[in-house]
Amino acid sequence: MKKYSNLFQLSFFLTPALVIIIVFYLLPLVLTVYMSFTPIRNWNTERYLSQFIGSYNYYRIYHMVKYDPIFRQVMINTIIFVLITLIVNVFGGLLISLATYFINEKSSSTLRLVWLLPRMSPIAVYSLVWYYFFHGSEIGTLNSLLLKLGIIDKPIVLGQGVIPWGPWSIIVFINGLVGVSFGMIVFSSALSHIPRELVIAARVDGATNWSISRKILIPMIRWHILYVFTWQLLSLITSYAHTFLLIEWGLVNRDYGTTLSLYVFLTAFGRGEQDQGLAAAAATILAIIGTVLGFLTLKILKFERMIAKPRGDI
Amino acid sequence: MLTDVEVRSKKTEVAITIAILMASIPLFLAFSLLVLSSFSKEMMTNLSLESFRFTIENWINVLQGKLAFTGGIRQNILKYTFNTALVALGVAGVVTLISALSGYALSRMNFRGRKFLLMFLLMLHAFPGVALIVGVYLLYRLSLPSSPSLVTTFSFMYVIVARAALEVPMATWLMKGFFDSIPWEIEWSAIVDGASRIRVWRKILLPLIKPGIAAILLFGFLAGWQDLIYVRTFLVEPTLATYIEANLEAEYSHMPLIAAAGTLYLLPTIIFFLTSQKLLLETHSGGIKG
Repeated sequence: MKKYSNLFQLSFFLTPALVIIIVFYLLPLVLTVYMSFTPIRNWNTERYLSQFIGSYNYYRIYHMVKYDPIFRQVMINTIIFVLITLIVNVFGGLLISLATYFINEKSSSTLRLVWLLPRMSPIAVYSLVWYYFFHGSEIGTLNSLLLKLGIIDKPIVLGQGVIPWGPWSIIVFINGLVGVSFGMIVFSSALSHIPRELVIAARVDGATNWSISRKILIPMIRWHILYVFTWQLLSLITSYAHTFLLIEWGLVNRDYGTTLSLYVFLTAFGRGEQDQGLAAAAATILAIIGTVLGFLTLKILKFERMIAKPRGDI
Repeated sequence: MLTDVEVRSKKTEVAITIAILMASIPLFLAFSLLVLSSFSKEMMTNLSLESFRFTIENWINVLQGKLAFTGGIRQNILKYTFNTALVALGVAGVVTLISALSGYALSRMNFRGRKFLLMFLLMLHAFPGVALIVGVYLLYRLSLPSSPSLVTTFSFMYVIVARAALEVPMATWLMKGFFDSIPWEIEWSAIVDGASRIRVWRKILLPLIKPGIAAILLFGFLAGWQDLIYVRTFLVEPTLATYIEANLEAEYSHMPLIAAAGTLYLLPTIIFFLTSQKLLLETHSGGIKG
């Protein structure tokens, strides 16, 4: 009787979460994998969903990797974007959190709040703000600044004209700031847990901020650095919303701004010819990469050990 | 708490503050220029003061649904704002309800697979969203009601639950953390007296974790409010995000007008920024206490 009621109570608490996970994670995943074996296009489910074409879509991707210059460019974009943005994220976050660590509490929390803006503002507004900033005419803030300083004599169309580093630097910059605030929050919270006595003792002995950071603070938040590094790696592989808008608005060149996840999205939902079978195959590959990386992350970071047994269960 | 104010040099502190301020200039500038431009006849983004001529015309036009000074294109922006708010509130509600339930079970109950479920949730949180959305959309197509009058309602419900699903793994972890911080003894006596876990959860624990619930509500609201991809993919009705997306590059739209719409869209974020800083920092640190 007791056991039965425990099971009932447990299912009362867990069923909603389990249902939502099954319906919106597991089932779509199965559907995506299934679609990757069909020729479905333009969401014509009646016509294509029951046709089975084996691994043809995967073969197409293999073929594209080998011969299609546009797709090869997508892969190059993805690698450049992920690597550089990752470095910007981790080092930027570390730099800001260390810097705010050494100044007084009040100004540091205000500054940290400003750096939360990229993460918190609506995707459309955040992209809009940088659209104006990098605009390729006189209304662009960066252009007018450079014009005023006399560095350039006519506006540069950074996102379309300076290939490939123009579009690359815009998408790295914009996504980089979003990640910087993530790193900053994690590092700042970790730093605030370090006993202040250590820092004070070192300072009394004459240590500088630089050596305190290098010898005490950074080694003590090693786990968090690794956490931000791996977590950002995962999320950069799949972030595309800002880039999607900037390409749609014509600020960033499509060929040199599209990364793999955006390619999947555009192939499935973009304007013109849509090819969901191909998109699903690419999505499946992304899902496999994501799962492997996610699994490795959890193993490396030893998250399991952080999970304590619940207290006082009857 | 011990501080090291006494031993650190004032001069370096000032230098560091200035350095971070300098680094924050682009960020600060970019956002302020958007807000300023919304009150100007011409875009302020070229940094020249001559472009600034104060007007509230943009705001009046936006709220009246005009896109340009001339021409008859009307867009009901108040309706779009309402749609955006509806999605955001829906996401907040669904995320909070589900995570308050599952967070309790994961914090307080010992069952087989508990550890696995916690790890699995972390994996889901990190799972590539774009790999899901193709399948989520197929599910949407397959479950779309046949009667056209229901499609709008259905698309609202679907986008709310589908978007909430993305936040459930993280919210559950956060909620578990909030429950973990409540001493077990408080509910112990009630359970000994024969109260069920469900009753204890509802009567004793929920009132105790009110700040946590507020934090998750805010977290869910902002997630729903800022979303672009899900609303443009699933929702039949426009929102502020899709309005800006569609009209920025349109021939007829007046640029400062879009800036006003953007500022309107940014408003709740700013308000929460100024009023609930502590709650925000709490949720954004992501429940990872090392």
